[in-house]
Amino acid sequence: MSPRDEDKREESRGKLRDAKMNEHESMRELLALAAAGALDEDEQRKLGRHLAECSACSAELDAWRGLAASLKRLPTPQAPSMLVERTRSRVALELAAIAERRKSYWVMAFLVLFSWTVTLVTWPVVRLLSGGVLSWLDLGFNQTWFGLAGYTALGWVTAGVAGAVLSLKRRREGRFA
Amino acid sequence: MGHAAVLSWEGGVGLDSDVARLRRGDPQALEALLSRYQHRLYRYLLRLVREPALAEDLFQQTWLRVAERIQRFDPSRNFDAWLFSVARNLAIDHLRRYRPESLDEPAAGDPSGEPRQARLAADGPSALDRLLDQERAGLVAGALADLPVIYREILSLRFEEEMKLEEIAGVLELPLSTVKTRLRRGLDGMKRKIETRSPGQWGLA
Repeated sequence: MSPRDEDKREESRGKLRDAKMNEHESMRELLALAAAGALDEDEQRKLGRHLAECSACSAELDAWRGLAASLKRLPTPQAPSMLVERTRSRVALELAAIAERRKSYWVMAFLVLFSWTVTLVTWPVVRLLSGGVLSWLDLGFNQTWFGLAGYTALGWVTAGVAGAVLSLKRRREGRFA
Repeated sequence: MGHAAVLSWEGGVGLDSDVARLRRGDPQALEALLSRYQHRLYRYLLRLVREPALAEDLFQQTWLRVAERIQRFDPSRNFDAWLFSVARNLAIDHLRRYRPESLDEPAAGDPSGEPRQARLAADGPSALDRLLDQERAGLVAGALADLPVIYREILSLRFEEEMKLEEIAGVLELPLSTVKTRLRRGLDGMKRKIETRSPGQWGLA
């Protein structure tokens, strides 16, 4: 064998060694994740092949598994029972307040619908009256659109004032409760 | 009714009905959920913020927010992941506001974030084994407490909560690849810390 062949063989052996080293290093990177059960199937398969022929990596994987097991077995700090009790009553209050708010929305929606119905239903009556009895007041109620707007505004202003008075009263009660 | 969750042997079934009842504003469902998650949620918060008083405060805030937002919770999602992400957002907001440095730097050396009544693993066959277990647990807990918060939380979610990587990605709102990288770095960090404190010990189970 010529010295040249010898060199070539040595070179290719060196390349093979480098490739093995690279693979070893890249597989080592996976060991911690393997112990954490975080490898995908492909990585799992490659690592499995490497572990079969690399005792150093097998030993290191065991060590990582040991660390993972210790993490899993860490004592669980217990939530103080006073804290749980306090949270329970605080959140129960909050739930009640939320339910109350939700109820208020429904009541409000119902009232708005109701007011509109009343306004529209009573409008013909108002027109009838304004044509006769109320005509001397000259409120302009017999001009249909202007009259309806005025009548509606009157209704909403009254309802608004009533609402404001009620909510003030409620807030005052809430403060003293 | 509060006992329903305790009696049901298959956790998920009781959980779904508790969540559904809480959405209707049933305070007894709240009771069941609180009992179910109390220690896990507290542990997670303690791992995040390390101070019992702060963890307690955040624990209460978390449940208040759950009560507030349960209507917006999509029942087809995983409740665990949702609950933990609510807790996490509150904790991270707090840290960001009061201790922004803790979010990117390793905190210095006080590993004692844990209340004393920590439960002992009951399976050690002898007193000596128990003692060694305890020592090791102390070492591991200390190393964990010393890591930056982004690694503490991910290790806690993976090993203590035993969440899947996808669930963790959901809680942390991070891509899966980042979750994997952080998990690996977190474990590397644990290894380094344990080795510095007690050479040759890092892999002993």
